[in-house]
Parts: sequence; structure tokens; C-alpha cells
Amino acid sequence: MSKELRFLVVDDFSTMRRIVRNLLKESGYAEADEAEDGVVALQKLRASTFDFVVSDINMPNMNGFQLLAEIKKDDKLKHLPVLMVTAEARKEDIVLAAQQGAAGYIVKPFTKATLEDKVNHILTKMGLK
Amino acid sequence: MSSDTHPQPALSTGEVHQQLGALTRQLHDSLNGLGLAAKVKDWAGELPDAKSRLSYIARLTGQAAEKVLNQVDQAKAQHDHIAAETRRIGALIVKDPVAAVAKGHVMNFITDVEQASQKVDSHLTEIMMAQDFHDLTGQVIAKVVTLAATIEEQLVLLLLQTAPADAKVAAPAAQEYTPALAGPVVDGQTNQEVVTDQSQVDDLLASLGF
Repeated sequence: MSKELRFLVVDDFSTMRRIVRNLLKESGYAEADEAEDGVVALQKLRASTFDFVVSDINMPNMNGFQLLAEIKKDDKLKHLPVLMVTAEARKEDIVLAAQQGAAGYIVKPFTKATLEDKVNHILTKMGLK
Repeated sequence: MSSDTHPQPALSTGEVHQQLGALTRQLHDSLNGLGLAAKVKDWAGELPDAKSRLSYIARLTGQAAEKVLNQVDQAKAQHDHIAAETRRIGALIVKDPVAAVAKGHVMNFITDVEQASQKVDSHLTEIMMAQDFHDLTGQVIAKVVTLAATIEEQLVLLLLQTAPADAKVAAPAAQEYTPALAGPVVDGQTNQEVVTDQSQVDDLLASLGF
């Protein structure tokens, strides 16, 4: 069941998008698409069906906080878990992400185990795994 | 060449100091007059930050390179081991195929290859993870470039506004430097407002009930 879940990986750095997608694949989540900023991510989320969003914060055009806010105020998207994976390590940013409805927060650099643990924890909590 | 051109007399050390002092005073007054003194103070505050950011880049790229080389060394050692074992088992099978199977050489080899493959896969994952330096250093470089561009822009503005009247051209509108998000932590130990590892993130979220 978990292998059919579809992920959207949002990051302005293609290197990081590849790393996250490869790690998800190694963890058994092979279905993933990617977006380079919040604007493209929103377009893809509205045009297709996804089960999970992994998003950076510091991005051009629309950052991760803005993307999170857009997702949470959209009736068709607000159920989506959004895991923030970011270099933003200020406590106020972590608190803000939690208050805005992020399902989890990972600071870069991170390990494969951390990403796998957070994704599995969120999916279990939401009854998707 | 004009015959009334005379070489300038050499300035004494005292005169040079006096002129430098006058120039410094002029620059100071100009900056104050243009309301740029506060900005210069900001730049002065940001330059050490730029220095620590550049050190962070050097440190992170160095660590990534070392990590990759170490992982490649270990993966190659596993690869060499598999290659040597393949040759050894191949020779045993050619010599006596039945004995090679019966004595467990072939089965041991298969187990050995499986274990080595897992280790090589783990090394490849680590090599992939080491590439995250591109994202982290890229963000830091962008901040340093922004700072340099801001200083350059303000200096050009200063130059245009203090130029002689006959050489004055319209100054472009200065863009305010608006700091973006904080980006990677380049010196977390001295800043209590940031987390330095994932466990601190988890503790903070747990304290908020998440």
C-alpha cells in the first residue's frame, strides 16, 4: 500500500531534489515528482494527485511557508501532510511551521534514517501506512 | 609637450597623513549627509558574518570531499574483495565443480557477495548524501553575493551623489537590502536562537505538543 503513495519534492536545488527522491525510493516510496519552487508545486498539486509533500523553505518566487499556507487554505489540498526539509534552523521558524500546520520539520544536513523515520511516522499518524 | 609642466614636489609624511585625514573626514561627512552612515555601520557588522559564511563554505566542501573519498575507498575495498573472491571461486569450480558446491565454497561466496553488495550500496548512499553541500553552500554563497552587490550599489550611489556638478548624472534609485530567511547555521554554538541538530528540532516540537 505504502509503495503507491505519491510524493511531491519541492526544493530550488536540483541536487537536493534528487537526493530526497533517491532516499524516498530507497525507503520504498518510488512514486515522486518534483518542483523547483512553491509556485510550480502548487500548479502540480492542483493538476494532479499527491499524498505527501516534502518541501524546502528558502526558495524563490514562493517560499515554503507561503506554499504551506496556500496548501492549508485550499479545501482540496489541506489534508496533505507537508514535511519541511530545510536549512532554516531558527527556533521561531520551526515554531511557525508547526503553527501553520506542517506535519514535520527536518533541518539540513540530515540523514537517510531521519527522513525515513519522519515520513513513516507521519504516514502512520495519518493512517496512510 | 608643454614646457610649463613641472613635476609635483614630493609630499612629506605629515602632509600625506593630513590629506588622508581630510579625505576620511570628507567621506565621513558625505556618508552622514547622504544618510549612509548607518548603512556603512551595517556593512561593517555584516562583513565578519560574510567571513564566517565563507569559512563555512570552505569547511563544508572540504568535509564533503573527504567523506566522498573515504566512502569511495571503502566501496573499492569491497569491490576488490568481491573480484578476488570471484577469481578464487572460479578457479575452484574449474578444478572440481562438485567439490566447490559440496564443500560450501559456492554458497559462502554467494553470502559474501550479498553482504558486500549491501555495504557498497550503503557507501553509495553516503556519497549521495554528501552532495547536500551543494544546497547548503549555494544558499550561503547567495547571501554573500547579495551583501557584495548591496555594498557595490551603495558605493556607486555615493560616487554619483558626490561627483562634481558638471560630471553629475542621475543616480539610480537605491534598492533597500531586505534580508531573506536566515539560511544554514554557519556558527550555531554562539547563537541560542537556532537549533544545531535534528534532536533539538524534535525536542522543540515535542515541547509544543507536536
